[in-house]
Amino acid sequence: MPDRRRVGVTSALLLTLLTVTVVGLFAAGPGPRDRVAELEGQLRCPVCKSVSIAESPSETAVAMRRSVAEQVAAGRSDAEILQYFEARYGEWVLLDPPAQGRGVWLLVLPAVVAIGGVVLVLTRARRSPDVPELSDDDRDRVAAALADARTRRHPDEDDEP
Amino acid sequence: MILAAAGWAGVMLGLASSIALAVFGFRALRTPDRATRGQLQQPVVGMVVGAAVAFIALEIALLTDDFAVSFVAGNSSRATPVLFKLTAAWSALEGSIVLWVVVLAGFTAVVLRQVRSVDDRLGVGALAFMGLVATFFFGLVSTVANPFEVLAQPPADGPGPNALLQNHLLVTIHPPLLYLGYVGFTVPFAFAMSALLTRTPGIDWLRRTRRANLVAWSFLSAGLVLGAWWSYEVLGWGGFWAWDPVENAALIPWLTATAFIHSAVVQVRRGTLQSWNFVLVLTTFALTILGTFLTRSSVVASVHSFTQSPVGPALLGFFVVVVVGGFTLFALRAPGLASPDRLESLASREGAFLVNNLLLSLFAFVVLLGTLYPVFVEAFTGAQTSVGRPFFDRMAVPISFALLLAMGVGPFTPYRAANGRLLWARLRPALLAGSLVSAGLVVAGVRSVAVVAVALLATAIVAASARQLVTSAPDRRPATLFQMVRRQRGYWGGQLSHIGLVLVALAIAVSADLSERTTATLRQGESVEFGGYTVTYTGNETIQRSHRTEVAAEFQIREGADVVRIAGPSLNQYPSQQQAVATPSVWSTPREDIYVALTSLEDGQVSVNLYRYPLMWTLWAGGLLVAAGGFWAVGGRPRRRVRSATPAAVEADAPANADAGAPQAVAVLSDPPAEQGEGRDRA
Repeated sequence: MPDRRRVGVTSALLLTLLTVTVVGLFAAGPGPRDRVAELEGQLRCPVCKSVSIAESPSETAVAMRRSVAEQVAAGRSDAEILQYFEARYGEWVLLDPPAQGRGVWLLVLPAVVAIGGVVLVLTRARRSPDVPELSDDDRDRVAAALADARTRRHPDEDDEP
Repeated sequence: MILAAAGWAGVMLGLASSIALAVFGFRALRTPDRATRGQLQQPVVGMVVGAAVAFIALEIALLTDDFAVSFVAGNSSRATPVLFKLTAAWSALEGSIVLWVVVLAGFTAVVLRQVRSVDDRLGVGALAFMGLVATFFFGLVSTVANPFEVLAQPPADGPGPNALLQNHLLVTIHPPLLYLGYVGFTVPFAFAMSALLTRTPGIDWLRRTRRANLVAWSFLSAGLVLGAWWSYEVLGWGGFWAWDPVENAALIPWLTATAFIHSAVVQVRRGTLQSWNFVLVLTTFALTILGTFLTRSSVVASVHSFTQSPVGPALLGFFVVVVVGGFTLFALRAPGLASPDRLESLASREGAFLVNNLLLSLFAFVVLLGTLYPVFVEAFTGAQTSVGRPFFDRMAVPISFALLLAMGVGPFTPYRAANGRLLWARLRPALLAGSLVSAGLVVAGVRSVAVVAVALLATAIVAASARQLVTSAPDRRPATLFQMVRRQRGYWGGQLSHIGLVLVALAIAVSADLSERTTATLRQGESVEFGGYTVTYTGNETIQRSHRTEVAAEFQIREGADVVRIAGPSLNQYPSQQQAVATPSVWSTPREDIYVALTSLEDGQVSVNLYRYPLMWTLWAGGLLVAAGGFWAVGGRPRRRVRSATPAAVEADAPANADAGAPQAVAVLSDPPAEQGEGRDRA
C-alpha cells in the first residue's frame, strides 16, 4: 500500500532529523559555564528598580560586577561570593532566595499547587466507556455527507473563543 | 478654578449615577414590575457624562497650565510639550483613576445596549454589579484620589510628569491600552456575579460577555507588549522584561484571563467546567484590583510605605470585599447551577483545554507568589528580601514549554475522545517540518537547547495550523482559505494568537541565549569591535530643549569599511530630576537589533553598553499578532442561521450523491481533518 509506505518514510525521516537534533546538541555539550554572568544575574542592583547588576548601567552595579569578576578570578566559590554580598547589603541583595528557611515556601507552594492541579484534572477525567469504532459502512456515509456538505456550502459557524 | 469645579461636578455626577445604577439595578431584580429600563438608562448616561466631563476638564486644565488644580500643579509644567501634557493625565495615580472611570463608564454603556428590558434579569444584575464597581472608583476619585483639589496658592510652574513618562511616544498609548484591558474584565465579572445572584444557569453569561472579554484580553495583550517595548526603547537597561512587580501585576490577570477564554469554550461546547469558569472570572477581576493595589500603593517597595497614601488601604479593602463577597456568593449559589464536571477522556480537545488551564493557573500562581513573597516576608518578619529573574525564569521556562506543547496538540485534537492514530496523522507533517528546522539549526551551528527546542515547536505549531487550514477548506484557492479564516473567526483568531505567541517565545529564547553584550569606555575617535561591527565614538553635542537638556553622543557603526549606521544615544537631563535619563539608540534590522546605551559621558569620554539581539522584531510582531488574533475573533461573529445541512444529508443517506462523492470521500478519510464535521455535527 503506497500510503503505508509514505507513512513509514515520513516516520523514518522524522526519527533521523530528531536524532540529528538531539545528538548535535548533546555532542556540543552545555558549553563553558559563565560563572560571572550567572552570579551577576543573581545579585540585585542596590540603586535600581528590581533589576540585577547584570542588567543595570549604574555605577554601583558596575563596581559590583567588577568585584564579582575579581572574586571569581580569585577562585572563590559561588556560595562564598553570594555570602560576601549578602553580608554587605543584606538578604535583600539575593534575587534568588536560598531554598532553606522561609525560602522553602517558594518551592513547596508551586509544587503543592501543581500536584493538586494534576490530581484534580485526573479525577475529572473518567475512563470513557470504550466507544466502538465506526464501521466502514458508517465511515463511508459520514465521508459522503461531509464531501457533499463541503461542495455545497461554506462553513459559517464556530464556537471557539 | 472653574475647571476644578467642573471636574469635581463631573465626578460627583458619576458617583451619584453609579450609586443610582446599583440601587435601581438590584431593586429591579427584586421587584421587576415596578422597574423601568429608563431607571437604568439614566444612571448609565449620568456615569458616561460625569466621567467624560471630569476627564475633559482634567485635560483642559493640563493644556492651559491651570496650576490651581492640584493634579496639574503636581504633574505638569509649562515647558512640557503638548502631547505629554495630554498624556500627563495618566502619568500619576489620580488622573489614571479618572481614565479608569471613563473606560468603566464606556463598558457599562455597552452592557446597557444589550439589556433591552428589565425582564433581562441577567443583564440587569450585571448592570447593578457594574454600578457597584463604578461606585467604588468614582468614590476613589472624589475622596482619596481627587485630582481636582483647588490650591489656594497655585505655583507659577510645576515639576512636569515623571521624566520616564515624557521620553517616548509609546507611553502615550501603553497605559490606556492596559486600562482598556484591566477595566474590561469588569464586564465578565459583573455577568458572572449576576448569573450567580439571579440563579441563571447555562452559558448565557458566557455568550454575552464573549465580546467584552475578548476585547479586554486583546487590549491587555497589546498593553503588555507595548509596555515591554517601552521598557526596551526607553529605560536603556537593554532588556524588555524585568519581572518587576508592575509588569507582573499586568501579566497575572492576563494569564488567568487567557485560561478563562479557553475554559469558556469548553463550557460552551461541552457543558462542563461551569464552576471553574466562575472561579476564573472572579479571580481575574480580583487580580486586576490586586495589581492596581500593588502598583499604586508602593507596598512592593516596602510594606510600611503603603499607608502613606490612603489609596492603598482603599484598594486593598476593595480587593478583600471582591474576594470575600464574590467567593461567598459563589459558594452559596454555584453548587445549584453547575453540573458535575466530567470528561470522557483526557485525550481530547477539552482535555487539552484542561491542561492549558492547569498550566496557565500554575503560571499565574507562581508569578503571584514571587511578587507577593517579599511583601509577606516583610510584613511577618520585617526582613527585606527579593525575588527576581532567577526564580521567575526557573519556574516560567518549563511551564512555557509545556504550554507550547499543549498549543501544538490541543487545537488539532477532536472533542470528546481522540485516538492516537488520528493525532499522529494530523501532527506528522507538522513534526516533520519542525524537526527539519531544528536539525537544520543544529547543523548550522546553533547550540542553544532552548532556541532549537522553541524553533522545533514553533515550526510545528505554524505548520499544523497551515495544514489544518488547507485540509479543512473545500478547495485550496486563497480566496476560499481566507473565507475559512473569516468565517471561523473564533478558531482562526485563536490560531493567529498562538502563532503570535510562538514568535514571542522564539524572541525570548533567542534574546536569552544568542544575544551578545559588551561594555566599553571610549575617548573620542576610539573604536570597539562588537558583533561583527566596528563602533567608533565620534563626538557629542548638547541640545537645549524647552523641557530638557539632551546630551547626545554620536557613534559610527561600520561593517568593514562602510558606515552602516550612525547611532545617537543620549542622556536627558530634566529640571525636576537629578539623575539623567538615558535614551538608548536602537538600530533594528530584520536580522538583529544593535542597541547602544550610554551610562556616562564626561570630558570627552563615554561609557557605553552595547547589545546585539538577533531577530528582536519577532517579539513585537508576535505580541501584536497575539492581540490581533483576539480582535479577529471578536469581529463580526456570524449570525446564527437555521441550518439543515449535514445531519439531514446523513439521515437521508444521500444515495444520489454517494457515487459522485466517492473519490472525494476516500480522500477525506485517508486524511482525516474533518474539523468542519467535528465542529458542526452537534446541530
